[in-house]
Amino acid sequence: MRHPTDGTLRRLVDEPAGVADADRAHVAGCPVCLAGLAAAQDDAAVAGAALRVESDADVDAGWQRLSGSVAADPTRPGAAVHRGPRWRALLRSPAVAAVAAVAVLTGATAAAATDWLQIFRTEQVVPVTISRADLVALPDLSAYGDLKVIQAPHVREVADAAAAEKATGLETPRVGELPRGVTGAPAFQVGDRTTAEFTFSLAKAARAAGPTLPTPPPGLDGSRFRLSAGPGVAAVWTATHGAPALVVARAVAPTAYSSGIPFATARDYLLSLSGLPEDVAAKLRSFSGDGRTLPFHVLAEELTSAPTEVDGVPATLLRSRDGVLAGVVWVEHGVVTVVGGTLDADEVLAVARGLR
Amino acid sequence: MKQDRELAVPAVLWPAGRGGASGRAERKDGVAVATPAGRATVRADLEQVFRAAYPRVVAVAARVLGASDEAEDVAQEVFLTFGRSSVPAGEAVGWLSVAAAHTALNHLRSRRRRAGREVAAGAAPAAGPDVADEVVTLDERRRVRAALSRLPHRQAVALVLRHSGLSYAEVAAALKLSSGSVGTTVRRAESALREELNRHAPSH
Repeated sequence: MRHPTDGTLRRLVDEPAGVADADRAHVAGCPVCLAGLAAAQDDAAVAGAALRVESDADVDAGWQRLSGSVAADPTRPGAAVHRGPRWRALLRSPAVAAVAAVAVLTGATAAAATDWLQIFRTEQVVPVTISRADLVALPDLSAYGDLKVIQAPHVREVADAAAAEKATGLETPRVGELPRGVTGAPAFQVGDRTTAEFTFSLAKAARAAGPTLPTPPPGLDGSRFRLSAGPGVAAVWTATHGAPALVVARAVAPTAYSSGIPFATARDYLLSLSGLPEDVAAKLRSFSGDGRTLPFHVLAEELTSAPTEVDGVPATLLRSRDGVLAGVVWVEHGVVTVVGGTLDADEVLAVARGLR
Repeated sequence: MKQDRELAVPAVLWPAGRGGASGRAERKDGVAVATPAGRATVRADLEQVFRAAYPRVVAVAARVLGASDEAEDVAQEVFLTFGRSSVPAGEAVGWLSVAAAHTALNHLRSRRRRAGREVAAGAAPAAGPDVADEVVTLDERRRVRAALSRLPHRQAVALVLRHSGLSYAEVAAALKLSSGSVGTTVRRAESALREELNRHAPSH
């Protein structure tokens, strides 16, 4: 009889009832399998000890927190529950990381430079629709290198529009006429300029991709890319249930810089690794040649997007498929503006077009 | 700035790696949540599932993260997603466990942990109050998390689920594997984890 597999030996360690009698009988009389079993027991014990952690979750407190979040806004999971800064969670997200990677690696072909060279400046944004299934296939950027936040945005609330303008140097958007149901004065939040640096690591990429890793272009290993955005300001009108009813946000749009190899080279290589379907990758490539169009991700199952315009400037209208949220985003003179909320499309467009 | 990202990229809070959470508010057995918008629903069995599964979901995330406060954040994210999903009730525990493991691993892989985080999280060392012991324990915990983050994602998830008490059949169902493959995957993960721990072991 053939030796049982390593998987069968492993199951003998902690769920022997699930192993066939014939396999058990074989192992009991086979020195090779007994040695394998002992090794499996050792490794399982080490892993068990390594992963042991005390956890005494308070179910009542947890439920209170969850039900509060659900009641506050069922359409934006996690919005009310994060204790840490949201940008940190965003950076951790594979979706954002992948898009950030594309953004960072997007742009005109630039010659190698010894100093930071601006290779990308957002002048317009374009939605790229990605399905959830494709999103699952996207890698975490950290699998390809190290992402380091150089300057954190320190998002904070300030007293009023004047304080927001002082903190950011940006003109605070003023809404001409509030949509029906949105009342009162907004709260103002500001964030500082944010810079993240990504260093490509061939060793990490090789570990992530395994033997299938395509040969990287020369000079890619250790190449550094910087992405900066902000400062930014947001005016937030809160509904009675605590969720934003209307948000008008404005920020200095992202720019990217390189200290390394030509970007088209790096971009194409990253896209070949990313696990994205070819049609999405091709779309990203096509957007990225001009050094000024920032593709951003729209989840197919959640949002629809449509081109529109705000005072003659091309814009993108986003609507959640359940009809609860709508938003419009556009870039003008290097500043990205977003108007969104629990509103319908006509309402956000009216606000956007009425901004002063 | 914060809000525009949330509006533009709502998908970031979905557990990566599971396509199963595609159910939306159109569930017939969902109930309307009392919000001014009044158009979104959450599933009716959310509280029942939450109360039954929350400790396990937190434990799965804690095993990955080594810190229970962050694990509770992950659990909240996962349950919020679950609440809007149409995952069959019979598959809830498996789905939630996988989602917690995936989400926690994604957190783990990208974060740069602040020094002392685990101290603040109350991850008390097992061996008494001695400060030297505590430092050693914290260092070991960091090594474990680093090693875990270097494992192939699927292996890491299978490993964490099995060590969180899911049976082979439950892990198999949750990860769409055969029971035989679960043993193989867990075995490889344990072997790889040990190698990683040995490779990065302190020299003293």
